[in-house]
Amino acid sequence: MRSPARRRLRGGVPPSRLRLRDLGSEALAGLLQRPGRSALTLLGVILGIGSFVAIVGIAQTASGQIGKQFNVLQATQAYVFDVGAAQSSSPTVDFPPNADAQADRIHGVVAAGVYWAVQFKQAAVSAHASGFLASKRAFPVTAASPGLLAAAGVKLVSGTLFNQFHETHAQNVAVLGETAAAGLGITSLEGQPAIFIDGQPFTVIGIIASSQRLPQLSVGVTVPESTTLRLWGPPAHEQAQMLIHTTLGAAKVVAEQAPVAIRPDNPTLLKGAAAPSAAQLQHNVSTSLNTLFLTLAGIALIVGAVGIANTTLVAVLERAGEIGLRRALGARPRHIGVQFLTESTALGLFGGLIGASLGVVAILAITIYRHWTALLDPRIVIAAPAAGAIVGLLAGLYPALRASLMEPADALRR
Amino acid sequence: MTGGGAAHGPAGQPVISLHSVAYTYRGPPPVHALKPTNLVIYRGEHVAITGPSGSGKSTLLNLLGLLDKPTHGTIEIDGIDVGAAPERERAAVRAHRIGFVFQSFHLLPYRTSIENVMLAQVYADEPRRRRHAAAMAALAQVGLADRADALPTALSGGERQRVAIARALVNRPSLLMCDEPTGNLDTATTQELADLLESLHREGATLLVITHNPAVAGRAQRTIAIRDGELTADPLAGGTRAVPGS
Repeated sequence: MRSPARRRLRGGVPPSRLRLRDLGSEALAGLLQRPGRSALTLLGVILGIGSFVAIVGIAQTASGQIGKQFNVLQATQAYVFDVGAAQSSSPTVDFPPNADAQADRIHGVVAAGVYWAVQFKQAAVSAHASGFLASKRAFPVTAASPGLLAAAGVKLVSGTLFNQFHETHAQNVAVLGETAAAGLGITSLEGQPAIFIDGQPFTVIGIIASSQRLPQLSVGVTVPESTTLRLWGPPAHEQAQMLIHTTLGAAKVVAEQAPVAIRPDNPTLLKGAAAPSAAQLQHNVSTSLNTLFLTLAGIALIVGAVGIANTTLVAVLERAGEIGLRRALGARPRHIGVQFLTESTALGLFGGLIGASLGVVAILAITIYRHWTALLDPRIVIAAPAAGAIVGLLAGLYPALRASLMEPADALRR
Repeated sequence: MTGGGAAHGPAGQPVISLHSVAYTYRGPPPVHALKPTNLVIYRGEHVAITGPSGSGKSTLLNLLGLLDKPTHGTIEIDGIDVGAAPERERAAVRAHRIGFVFQSFHLLPYRTSIENVMLAQVYADEPRRRRHAAAMAALAQVGLADRADALPTALSGGERQRVAIARALVNRPSLLMCDEPTGNLDTATTQELADLLESLHREGATLLVITHNPAVAGRAQRTIAIRDGELTADPLAGGTRAVPGS
């Protein structure tokens, strides 16, 4: 209790006191009177606080893993989907031929291009038109506008990429991924090698080593969009979409503006989307993973609080004689109340400490098992025992009030 | 021995005095547990209060011990009017001026003898470094220095009550108030305890013993009987100034 300057009451009697140190030892002695019961009472708080710490820590750790995989590449990326074609009954492409140029005019766009996967009923790519060398391979064939190759961030090994001329004139040209080139036996572009796709001849003009945003380009065959439309028509199953390389931070705005810029006559045919940001991913993870478990942790904590309240109330009733004795020995009602409040708060604090420790152990176990890097905000670890103490304090309010209001004469008779 | 009581003021002064003190349980119907009563106990006296159960004995004890407030009248302890004083003052007077001994001992079961004695020093705010020595002295005074570290469960009934008496003495109160101190003890132990109380009185303690054991009451200098909420049988009660105990 507070210890004001030593003053005396009427008649020179010093006031009765309960010093902080005495309060601590009396409360501790009260808890240790029934160690088994105190331990059982702790369980609810341990479970509540422990699961809370574990859930928050695991969510933070999981978000950290997503953050590691997430990089600038995805942060500078936006898509436009052809929702009109998806709803249309016949195959169509709602991107106009000048879509790349229209998209380029949006502020924040570095490069943009339309692409779709060209589907064949069977393997369609071969190095020769006929004969025993004409075995067909199932390399992915992608129809792409010239802008796409720039937007995808392809790196050439040799040759060149197709450009607006090839696109405008629907030339039979192809860019091969390194994997496809090796598979088709094309090692050099000298002599203008040709390949056959679904029986149609294409001149290989370039070989690419890698494609940052569309890895499938580096293993397959890419042909101009207009050529694809001329030979095989618009895509029937997988709709065309646009890949946009934006400047950092512009992806979301670009995604919003692109449909209007590309199809000002009917922007609803298109739908823009930015690559999900790290924050969104974290949020998605937290909401999907945590809501249920945090609710369960909250319930466990409430059960723990009720347990503490119950145990403390039982202790108050059971220790009525002790309360009467303490009052006879000079304890004031507040001395009695604060002692029981300290006992319940200490129960909550110990529960919180043990729970937080077990929660950290659980996080470590999971992260070690998953080969993750454990991440936990230290404030959570500090706040957890404090939360336990607050739970104990609140749970002890009513029992402490009951104890302090007990009439000493009645209490001594019990 | 310095722990004997009579720590405050000279012999012959009133330790506790009741003026027209009455206690009525609010009805309906109202019960007059204690009718208006005058009573003075002087320093160094050994007074016994006897009466059958339901006579108002417990009510009188609660009022004398400041465990309850009278509905009428004033109570003074060491000249301080405490009857209607705020609980803060009454608690302070209980801590420093009154030592309680109960029929059922009221020892905390998980604490040793000396720890039970030291509990009284917590609220009296005795400095911690002085507590152990004072508690040992009080235990020595009741002849239990060798059982200081024994738990109550290891003590006989008489020993337990002596620990309780040591606890009541440790703050050197003005008044030692014993409520049926031998009520839970056998005849032989009762005699021993009565001897102990008598020796404490000889050492200077002011004793107020509530009992219906004639053997215990007989040791007192004066006996006050209470019946139906009224003090009787003692010519010195009822406000008459009694001869101070020697």
